[in-house]
Amino acid sequence: MKHSSRILTLAAGTALAALAFQALQAQEPPAAAQQAAEANEAIPNGGRAWWDPGEGTPLARMVEYDNEHGRLRLYNTSGDVETDGHPFFEPLGPNGRACVSCHQPADGMSLSLRSIRERWEETGGKDPIFAAIDGSNCPNLPQGEEASHSLLLERGLFRIFVPWPPKDPWGEGTIEPEFTLEVVRDPGGCNLDPEYGLESDKPMVSVYRRPRMVANLPYVVHRNFGIGPFVGKTGEPALRDPENGQPVNMNLMADARAATLGLQATDAANNHLQMLEGLSDEQLAQITAFERQLFAAQVHDNGAGNLLLGEGGKAFGPENLAHGDIGFLGNNTTRWVFPVDESWAQPQAALSDEQNAMRASIRRGQQIYHFRTFWIKDSMHLNTVGLGNPVKRTCATCHGMHMTGLDTANGWMDIGTTNLPWAREVPLNPWTEERELMPLFRITCRNDVPPHPFLGRVIYTQDPGRALISGKCNDVGTIVMQQFRALAARAPYFSNGSAANIREIIDFYDRRYNIQYSEQEKVDLENFLGTL
Amino acid sequence: MLRCLTLTSAAAAMAMSSAAASAQDLAFVTCPIVKDTPSVPCWLTEYEGELYYMGVQSDVSAPFNPPWLGHKALVEGTPDPDGQRICGGIVLEPVRVSVMPEMSPECDTVLMAEPGYVLPFEPRRPPGPSSGSLAFSPPPPPPKPEPPFEVRSFDIHFAFEGSVNFQTPRLLQEVLDYARDVGAKRLEVTGHRASVLLSDGRVLEEREGIAELRAQQVGRMFDGLVPGLEQVDINSSEATEPGDWQDRRVTITVYPGQTGS
Repeated sequence: MKHSSRILTLAAGTALAALAFQALQAQEPPAAAQQAAEANEAIPNGGRAWWDPGEGTPLARMVEYDNEHGRLRLYNTSGDVETDGHPFFEPLGPNGRACVSCHQPADGMSLSLRSIRERWEETGGKDPIFAAIDGSNCPNLPQGEEASHSLLLERGLFRIFVPWPPKDPWGEGTIEPEFTLEVVRDPGGCNLDPEYGLESDKPMVSVYRRPRMVANLPYVVHRNFGIGPFVGKTGEPALRDPENGQPVNMNLMADARAATLGLQATDAANNHLQMLEGLSDEQLAQITAFERQLFAAQVHDNGAGNLLLGEGGKAFGPENLAHGDIGFLGNNTTRWVFPVDESWAQPQAALSDEQNAMRASIRRGQQIYHFRTFWIKDSMHLNTVGLGNPVKRTCATCHGMHMTGLDTANGWMDIGTTNLPWAREVPLNPWTEERELMPLFRITCRNDVPPHPFLGRVIYTQDPGRALISGKCNDVGTIVMQQFRALAARAPYFSNGSAANIREIIDFYDRRYNIQYSEQEKVDLENFLGTL
Repeated sequence: MLRCLTLTSAAAAMAMSSAAASAQDLAFVTCPIVKDTPSVPCWLTEYEGELYYMGVQSDVSAPFNPPWLGHKALVEGTPDPDGQRICGGIVLEPVRVSVMPEMSPECDTVLMAEPGYVLPFEPRRPPGPSSGSLAFSPPPPPPKPEPPFEVRSFDIHFAFEGSVNFQTPRLLQEVLDYARDVGAKRLEVTGHRASVLLSDGRVLEEREGIAELRAQQVGRMFDGLVPGLEQVDINSSEATEPGDWQDRRVTITVYPGQTGS
C-alpha cells in the first residue's frame, strides 16, 4: 500500500518507469521476482536521470539508479523528501546552480564524469555546472568552449580557490606559511591571472578537485573513536564546532578547511552558488538535516545479482549503513571494516553458477582488503604516527572505519595522488598531442623548519592539499581520504580525478607501494569495491 | 587569557636530570634496519659491528615507535645484560629512538624474513586486523587529588629535535586532568633544549629555537580545555649540557586556583 501511495506522488516520467518495471515483473517471472525482492520498496528509475535545480520532483524514501557495476540505492531515513522549495534542490544564487547540481542522486550524490559530459552535450555547455566561476578552468577564459572547461570535461574537476597566505583559523589575520609557493605550470591560466591569481589584489591559489558524495555523512562527521581536542596524527589542536565548542574530526573536505556541515554548506553557497547574501539559518538547518539522513550504497551487482540476498552481507545496502555502528574502528575481528561473512559467499540456490562465482570473488576481494599485507612507505601522516617507515599492513589499516573505509581519526595524508613523483603526469612527447591539464607548484620549505621527511625541502605538487590551509610543509599534498561507498556511481576517483575507474585506483596503489597484486587479486578487489 | 613569553638565556634554569650515558648504556646515530618475519617486522640497528634489536611494529599505543627508513636514528638504549637476541639482534631495553630530521636515502635496508623464524613472543598486534582493542592499554589514571591542592610540575619528553606530535596529547592528559581537578588559574610552561653525549664521546646538540617551539606548541594545547584558566606563562631555555633523553622536555607547572577548601 505504501508503495502505491508513493508512486502517485512521483513525476510522470518516474511513475511510468515504475509501471514499466512492474510490467517487466509480469513478463519475466524468475528475474523479475528476484529484482522485486531486492528492490524492496525502492523506486527504480529505469536508468539514469539528471536532477535539474528547482525541478520539484519529490525524492522518494528509497530510489535506485543503474550504473556500470549494478544498481545504487538511496535511502532517506526520514521518508520522502519534498524538494520543491528545499534549499538543497533549489537554485539559490545567480548562476542557476543548486547543491543538487554537483551532488546528483544517480551519481551517489557526487557527480560522475559521465554525467558531466552528457550535460555538456545536451545543453551545449549551458548547464549551470559549467558556470565560469569554477566550472571552467578560469573565469577569464572564453566560456562555452570545451577547452575552457577541460578540467571539468576530462577529469570531473571544479576549481577551488583559496586565499594565499592562508587565513588563521584561530584568530584574525593570516598564517605565515612554512614554505614559499611558486607556479611552475598553469594550463588553466588562473594562478597566473592578474585578476584571479597569486599576484592579484586578493591573492588566490586555484586547485582543481572532485565533488565529494553527500550521503552517509553521519560517518563522515562522527565524534566517536579517535576524535578529541587534538588531531590524532599531529597533536595540533583540532577545529571546533563554533556552535558548541566541541572538537570535530575535520574529515569533511579534501583540505579539512570546513569544520561542520553547516560551514561547508556556507562555503559552497558563497563560492559555488555565488550567493550574495549567503544561506539563512533556516536554509542551513534544512540542508544539514537532509544531509544527515541520507544513505547510499550499491544493492545489486551485475555479476552477482542481489547483494542483499543471503546471510552475512551486512556490508551491503544503505539500510545496513543507516543502522550501522557509526564512528567505530572496523579494522578488527569484532566489526570488520566491511562485514561480509563467509556464509554470504556460499553458493546460493537462487543464483546461477556465474552469480555464485562472482560472489566468491567479491568475498575474496573483501579478504584481500582486510588481510593482504604490503609495505606502506613514505606516506606523510601514516608512516609518521608511530607505526614506522615502512609499515607492513593492509588496505584496512588506513581505510579502517566500519562500513565506510574512512579514517576514523582526522584523515589527511599524502599517498602521492597530487605530489610528484607519484602523481599522474602526462609525459611530454613530441609525437603526441596530449598535454598536462593540472597546474604544478614548486614548494620550497623554509630553512628554519625541518624538511618534509620524505620529499625534502623542494616539493613539486599539482595540489598542495591541506598545506594551503595549514601552511605547513609536512601537509603538502595531504588530502583527506574519502569514503568507499557508491564508487560504482561516481567515477573518476581521487581528489584530482586521476583514476578513471576502480581498476585504476588499484593500479595506482599497486605502483605506489609495489604491492605486486596478482591479476586475480586485482579482479577480486575491483569486484569487491564495485559492490560498496 | 594572558600569555607572555620569557626567554631565559641562562643555563641555570635547566636542571640536568642525569649524568652522561652510563658505561653500559649506548647512545649512537645510525641507519635503522627493518627485518621482515612471517608476522610483524622487527626493527634492528647496527653499532660497532654488533646488531641490536629495538622492537617490532605494533600500533600507535606501543611504547616503542619504529624509526623510518630514509632517515638516520638516534638510538639510546641498554643492551640486555644476558645478551638475549631477537631477530638476530641483542635486545636493547629500555630503548628510545629519535628519527633524525634530515633525509638519509642510504638508510634503506630491508632484510628478508628467514624461513622458519618465529618471534619468541606473540606480537600484540598482527599486521592485519586487531582483536578489537589497541595493543597496549594506557596506565590507569592517578586518583583524583584531594585538597589542599599543591603546585605540581610535570615533564613531557620529546624525541631528539622533536616537538608536539601524535604522542603529545596522551602524555599531556595527566596534566590536563590535574589542572582541571585543582581548578588551575595559572600554568607555567617551560621548554628545554638538550644535547646528548654519544657513546663515541661526541655531543649531539638540538637546534636552537627548539625549546621555544616546544613551549609555544605545548602552551597552545591548553586553549579552552581548562575551565577558569586565566594565564599561561611560556618560558624557554636554549642552554644545553650534555645529558640524555630526559633533558628533551617541556616542564609544566600547575598552580591551583586555591590551595584548599
